[in-house]
Amino acid sequence: MEFLSLNILIFAPLIVAGIILSPLFPNDEIIVRRFAKGFSGILFIYSILFMIFFKPYNTGYQFKETIKLFSNTNWIEPLGISLSFGLDGISVMLVVLTTFLVMLALIASKKSITTKHKLYYSLILVLTTAILGIVTSRDLFLFFLFWELELIPMYFLISIWGTGKKEYSAMKFVLYTFFGSLFMLGGILLLNYFHFLNTGIYTFSIEALTYSRHYDIPFIVKALIFLGFFIAFAVKLPIVPLHTWLPNAHVDAPTPVSMLLAGILLKMGGYGLIRFNTQMFPEMIKIFAPMLIVLGVINIIYAAFIALAQKDLKLLIAYSSISHMGFVLLGLGALNTIGITGAMFQMLAHALISAGLFLIVGVIYLRTKTRIFSHLGGLGQVMPKAFYFTMLLALASLGLPLLVGFAAEVMIFYGAFTSNSLDGFILSNQFMTALAAISIIITAAYLLWMLQKIFMGNMFEKWQKAYDLTPQEAIALTFLSIPIVLFGLYPEGVTSLFLPFVDNLVSNLAL
Amino acid sequence: MDFLLDIKTAMLPEAIITFTILVCTVLCFMLKQEKQKIIYLISLLGLIISLTSINLLAANKIFTGFYNSFTSDFFSILMRFLILSGTLLVIIMTKDYSSKFKNRQGEFYLLMLIAALGALLLSGANDLIMIFVALEALSLSSYALSGFLKKDKSSNEAALKYLIFGGASSAIMLYGFSFLYGITGHTNLTEIFTYLANNNTDTMLNFTFFLIIAGFLFKVAAFPFQSWAPDVYEGAPVPVTAFLSTVSKVAGFAILIKFIGLAFNNVEIITVTLGLIALLSITIGNFMALNQMNIKRLMAYSSISQAGFVLIGFALLSYSGISGAIFYLISYLVASLGAWLAIIIFNTQTNKSLISDLNGIAYRNPYFATCFAFCLLSLAGIPVTVGFMAKFYLFHAIVQEGPAYLWLLILALLNTILSLFYYLKIIKAMFVCKQENESFKLNFDAGILNTSLVALTLVVVLLGVLVTPFIEIARDSALSIKLPVKQVGLSR
Repeated sequence: MEFLSLNILIFAPLIVAGIILSPLFPNDEIIVRRFAKGFSGILFIYSILFMIFFKPYNTGYQFKETIKLFSNTNWIEPLGISLSFGLDGISVMLVVLTTFLVMLALIASKKSITTKHKLYYSLILVLTTAILGIVTSRDLFLFFLFWELELIPMYFLISIWGTGKKEYSAMKFVLYTFFGSLFMLGGILLLNYFHFLNTGIYTFSIEALTYSRHYDIPFIVKALIFLGFFIAFAVKLPIVPLHTWLPNAHVDAPTPVSMLLAGILLKMGGYGLIRFNTQMFPEMIKIFAPMLIVLGVINIIYAAFIALAQKDLKLLIAYSSISHMGFVLLGLGALNTIGITGAMFQMLAHALISAGLFLIVGVIYLRTKTRIFSHLGGLGQVMPKAFYFTMLLALASLGLPLLVGFAAEVMIFYGAFTSNSLDGFILSNQFMTALAAISIIITAAYLLWMLQKIFMGNMFEKWQKAYDLTPQEAIALTFLSIPIVLFGLYPEGVTSLFLPFVDNLVSNLAL
Repeated sequence: MDFLLDIKTAMLPEAIITFTILVCTVLCFMLKQEKQKIIYLISLLGLIISLTSINLLAANKIFTGFYNSFTSDFFSILMRFLILSGTLLVIIMTKDYSSKFKNRQGEFYLLMLIAALGALLLSGANDLIMIFVALEALSLSSYALSGFLKKDKSSNEAALKYLIFGGASSAIMLYGFSFLYGITGHTNLTEIFTYLANNNTDTMLNFTFFLIIAGFLFKVAAFPFQSWAPDVYEGAPVPVTAFLSTVSKVAGFAILIKFIGLAFNNVEIITVTLGLIALLSITIGNFMALNQMNIKRLMAYSSISQAGFVLIGFALLSYSGISGAIFYLISYLVASLGAWLAIIIFNTQTNKSLISDLNGIAYRNPYFATCFAFCLLSLAGIPVTVGFMAKFYLFHAIVQEGPAYLWLLILALLNTILSLFYYLKIIKAMFVCKQENESFKLNFDAGILNTSLVALTLVVVLLGVLVTPFIEIARDSALSIKLPVKQVGLSR
């Protein structure tokens, strides 16, 4: 498969962003948008090829690539940093998800982005490069670099095209993420240093650091490194005390950016927790499993209750996001195959559902210029298509059988219930699972109320002229609905991609 | 003949600058005011020749000249390269700005060249007397330069403040020199180090050390000698400010490195104190910068905090720390010169210097705003810029020293969040905020200022990508100083 090059996949968006931004490119809205959309479509198809040729049962990375600089040395030889990429079980799904959602976000951009098109589309593409870089890096330093690189496009995307207190929200997002990532930097440096002390080699290679198993690092240092990584991913996921940036960022971001934020950026937290906290520190995750589960349950219940009280549609979806990401933590804390598979699957399910729901919010906001429930109502009469799609998404989100949300939650609950990761802790796994299960009722309550308040009942006279979905919106929502139904019926279609990886991970944990 | 040989092997750039100064002096008297623009060209020419002559110096050997009072090693060559290119850019900056100097244009370049000569000599000085003379050549001309806008009140205030603070700190430093001479009986640094290595010295040496570095901390505007910087930076002509915050700092750090060797008798006290000085500089600079409305003041506080980052590298008292500091210094010089170039382009054309004046400029002058934004992001340490690599390399060096320096790492990391906030404030003004009153468009053609800004931005990005050679340069130059410090982290 010579034509499948991760370098092309990662850096092509960056180059295209440069092309769009260059003064030679026509400054015509339609041309810019179509060019960007067309490119993202090609990128999506290209990434699908990676998934097709990916062999789940091979352990370790596939499609490995390392860019060498002049005289065939690694990128930063003195520090042992190399520009190396690769795909394994968890990253392949996220790569396809990223290109898929970027494509849909660009399709959905037509109505919600009205100014500065060149800058907008090129920033989205830079963001794509950063995210693809995060999930495919085989080098910790590179991972960190892409992690930081993603901040600046996000800052501009929220603060330039957003609404409301956009500048405040964008700054809050950047400072929170930067705050978290600095702890990770500390962890990375400590890890590198102790690896050097033990082996005499400076390296940032994820493989080398993962498989050395860190027997010789003092416990306290290992805990510090673990927590450093954990804080960075906790901000991103987000985990409850560190979640306050998310409602702001979501509410003030433009619709396509909200889709990307909920769909992909939150998943980076989950990816990091699996890749680093679980895979790299198997013995530490066993010690910290109670923390993961307790935080996860708090996330699930707390955010669900907050969502119940929201008067703003977008805030409700934002809090439901936080609540659903709690399931990822719960599944991860189970530390068994089914739980971690469920966590991975929940990441996919939540990405599809929340991207769709945020798109619906954008659709409604475009028509009515409001997101407050008390100003809405009865929209189902004039927007039947939007109503059907919303119903599908809401039902998937609250976990209706045969849709993705259900499959994910079943796996997580089963994994958490049968797990024994809380042995020796005052609360049992079964109790925590039962506690988390309460959220199913609350989730159903707020999502159904949401449906009712927006689409049913009497309609205000002023919404009589609200038009139904435009073709672009309908296409984007259809694209999202297909996998929601498909993988709801047949979860194995996705889980088979990463199940061997998770098996491997769990057997490592048992050592 | 010794004299000529010394010049040829060790001090060629300095000799060329001296010659240029002489030519400029004569021309200052001879030329009419309208024709003094020629001096601008001649000083540029002198700097370029001097820069090229650096190639003729042997980088892999150590030469001494003038009875061991000057050393030319790889480190000093690197520093001289930085100083000369910095001065070159500062002189380029004055192209349009110099009309503000009315009839005294020639003298400005003359003083600038003398300051540069002082900085050059400082970077290789190896004798207490040489150090003092070079430092004063740099300082005295800087005092005069900061007051160069004769009729401008704040410029006069700047000069006076700078002079008083500078005089006081020079006096403290000289006091330290006298102690050092009293303890060792030598003025030559090499002999001083040899003496200290072979003799037990008392705690007086610590006291001496702190007295001496007071003078250099003043030059680099680090805590507790930072209070002059904001007023001077704001009041002085912008090119002079750029000179003070870049070239003058490089010279200050270049000489500070040599005195790190004094620390090796009492490592614990000095490393902790230097670390605290560094952290306080960073923190004070950052906190004061948070609420600044004026770009020049903001950059002044930012330069205080950046100086603190360089000092962290010194505080480690190890070769990896010093090479981290040198790399950070290079990155700071490039990014900060770029930022000052952008400020001067803006300031000369609009006569404004508030952050809110930049509102919405990105959509009238996209290239200008992009270049400025890249330089600021580099100062904040965001990839893919040289600032990110420099911060990473520095933090890497801190960790190499083991858990004892973890506090330094954590506090420095937390400070980078603060600094991101105020750099983003400028970027926000340029890209996000809307222009309120009359809109103006900068003239951003292919002039020399704009070209240099674009070139510097390219350097900022390229250095952020092709890092290895520069890390090696920083490491080699750190090793070439041959300091009596512990040898950790570079054993490979």
